[in-house]
Amino acid sequence: MASIAIPKQGGYSRPLILEWITTVDHKKLGILYLYTSMFFFAVGGVLALLVRTQLAVADNHFLDNHAYNQIFTMHASAMLFLFIIPIWAGFGNYLVPLQIGALDMAFPRINALSYWLFPPAGIIMFSGFLVKDGAAQAGWTAYSPLAKTLGTGMDLWIIAVAMLGVSSTIGAANFLVTMFRMRAPGMTMFRMPIFCWTMLVTSVLSLLATPVLASALTMLFIDRNFGGNFFDPNGGGNAVLWQNVFWFYSHPAVYIMILPGMGIISEILPVFSRKPLFGYKAFIFATMGIGGLGFSVWAHHMFTTGAVLKPWFGFMTGLIGVPTGVKMFNWLGTLWRGQLTFEPPMLFALGFVSMFLIGGINGAFAAAVPVDFAIHDTYFVVAHIHYVLFGGSVFAVFGGLYYWFPKIWGRRLNDRLGQIQFWLMFIGFNLTFFPMHLLGLDGMPRRIATYNDFNNWQLLNMISTSGAFLIGLSMFPFAAAVIMAFMKPKDQPNDPWEANTLEWATTSPPPVHNFDEIPEIHSERPLFDLRHGTHSNH
Amino acid sequence: MPNNGMRRPARRAIVLFSVGLLALAAIGTASAAVGQPGGITDEARDMHGLYLFTLALGAIVFVLVEGALIYCLVRFRKKSDSLPAQIHGSNIVEFIWTGIPVIIVIALFSYSFVVLRNVEHKEQPVDLTVNVTGFQFQWQFTYCANDLGKGANAPDKARGDKYQGPCATEADEFSITGTAKDEPTVVIPLDEPVEFRLKSNDVIHSFYVRDFLYKLDVIPGRDNKFTVTAREVGTFHGQCAELCGLNHALMRFQIEVKTRADFDAWMAEKTAASKAAARVP
Repeated sequence: MASIAIPKQGGYSRPLILEWITTVDHKKLGILYLYTSMFFFAVGGVLALLVRTQLAVADNHFLDNHAYNQIFTMHASAMLFLFIIPIWAGFGNYLVPLQIGALDMAFPRINALSYWLFPPAGIIMFSGFLVKDGAAQAGWTAYSPLAKTLGTGMDLWIIAVAMLGVSSTIGAANFLVTMFRMRAPGMTMFRMPIFCWTMLVTSVLSLLATPVLASALTMLFIDRNFGGNFFDPNGGGNAVLWQNVFWFYSHPAVYIMILPGMGIISEILPVFSRKPLFGYKAFIFATMGIGGLGFSVWAHHMFTTGAVLKPWFGFMTGLIGVPTGVKMFNWLGTLWRGQLTFEPPMLFALGFVSMFLIGGINGAFAAAVPVDFAIHDTYFVVAHIHYVLFGGSVFAVFGGLYYWFPKIWGRRLNDRLGQIQFWLMFIGFNLTFFPMHLLGLDGMPRRIATYNDFNNWQLLNMISTSGAFLIGLSMFPFAAAVIMAFMKPKDQPNDPWEANTLEWATTSPPPVHNFDEIPEIHSERPLFDLRHGTHSNH
Repeated sequence: MPNNGMRRPARRAIVLFSVGLLALAAIGTASAAVGQPGGITDEARDMHGLYLFTLALGAIVFVLVEGALIYCLVRFRKKSDSLPAQIHGSNIVEFIWTGIPVIIVIALFSYSFVVLRNVEHKEQPVDLTVNVTGFQFQWQFTYCANDLGKGANAPDKARGDKYQGPCATEADEFSITGTAKDEPTVVIPLDEPVEFRLKSNDVIHSFYVRDFLYKLDVIPGRDNKFTVTAREVGTFHGQCAELCGLNHALMRFQIEVKTRADFDAWMAEKTAASKAAARVP
């Protein structure tokens, strides 16, 4: 809030560690979020490589079934709950107040609470590896009644996901209040940067969907520990009920995982095309459309249960393609007749556009209900989610890191290393996930710890595994770029990219109070207006 | 700021990018041939048609959009420091490109709806019922020797029938089960509608036969069933498709389609064997 007292520079000297542990500064919390989620990205990545190693050849004994089930479950849980969702909170925390010209988030202490629920949740989830029977092994979807029958690792998983749910919910409320109440003078809703808009819609989704997840988790916990029978038909419960409540959260959660990524590339593409985002308002309405429709499609994960109204959910799922298509065209419209340059942020943003398109197209196969009967729960679906969440979200994460690194840390990541990383990742990504389409069509179910080679699945699996290691390799140029950047002094000007939004008006990195002076805001591109002395004709 | 020094790598980047996407398009098209198998049932052939339709739509969208993207990258890379025209959007264009996906969605949905109705034909008379029970971690397939799915003389708890299985009497019933090493084989006749009734007493499984292009979940507390008419003789592979615990990967089975004559011979042999087994104790 504006009434927060700003500490005098150098007024209080505290040990650095104490400073970071007790901070309520949105920038520091944002950085903590980024570090912690990147840590879990690395952990989840190692787990993915274990999975791919096991599947590289038929009838492999590298991992036994018990270990495999834990590892693929924890790979997905780490990547979704401990990496993608919180890293958007990291970007959001750092950027939203800066982009709307605020001093901090609306509730700085709640913001700190949001963050500090996150590392313990990760530790609790992974502590499953230390208990009898091991970590959670029912997949990240924890289908019941299977989840009822598993060991203590499952309880730890439930507790961890519930804590993360609390973190997201209060974080969402914080983002909403910040954006509604703390915009700088002149920053109307329809002048907010597009990244803020995607965070806004994401926050609404979190606020509405996460409590449903909380109730689902509570019921599952009661089923497991206190003799409940919500999801166990042998005690009068209903096995399909879990899927309904779980997906009622988890489908909107897919948009929670992708919308901020769309926001990030919608910041990057205009800057490196030297044009405004084509159809700024259309883009906002499309984002709202995706968010709204996102609540009416949960049962498309359940067509093969035979327990849902298939035509309705098939149609609504198809409809989501409409606002998504609008966004795709708006991105192309932004590039059209621009002056394009290809620094690393732009490369990753273009990687997003080209790969997310495939993630949309292969989604259409699952929306066509009878086709879904064949591909559901096969590797085709694994390909689909990775084209959306890796080809989409992860490319956006790296685009965002290259783009805002100068602002956050005052140093620029090496362009050449960025390009090397991009190409390794782009090629590795397609090698890993494209063959999965073919495996799925050929009938390879997902989540199997091993396969025999009667269908010649081995070759495609081997290609996929090599691709996965190429992705692993692509992290080294990134790490090198980060280390090299930190070995140099801070040298970045306020606005190294000639960008559009307010965060580039202040120093790199910004002072504790964010802005010494906020420029006048007449459009959604205040810095463009400042550079060119124009008022947008918007 | 990036300047002319960026030109060469930029051009190379564009070339690499284009080659990569073209390669993907080529792989995608080629995979239509090796992708989804055609399926061996009437229902599967219907669904495969829808798959090919979706694939064609997808391929067109892919080529057009990635083509437009590559065109932009080649045509509009930075050539001067002059600012390009600052176009903020166009309502007409937005209207058009909202309309196009709507048309595609309606086309795809309509075709899916028709296929869905054909696949899930209700109340079809069936010539054979196979009762499938999924359990951790195998399958049991139960047949009735004298009651080939006609449902007559079903056991009735109210009448005081002790036997509560799927057949008219216990003597009619025989089952096939297997192990991970010795996969069970479920046998069905050619050209006749066969009903599969799916049941589980532990967790959720999913009955999946690749060449049916179909799977249906096997859910405790819920009786799912589906009907197919197989049109090809042969042995095909089946597997559990819903994670069901430790040895989920090993829940494999075979499905064999025989001509009516071969099927009757197999049935007679199995019935005799099961009667002999019943007499032993």
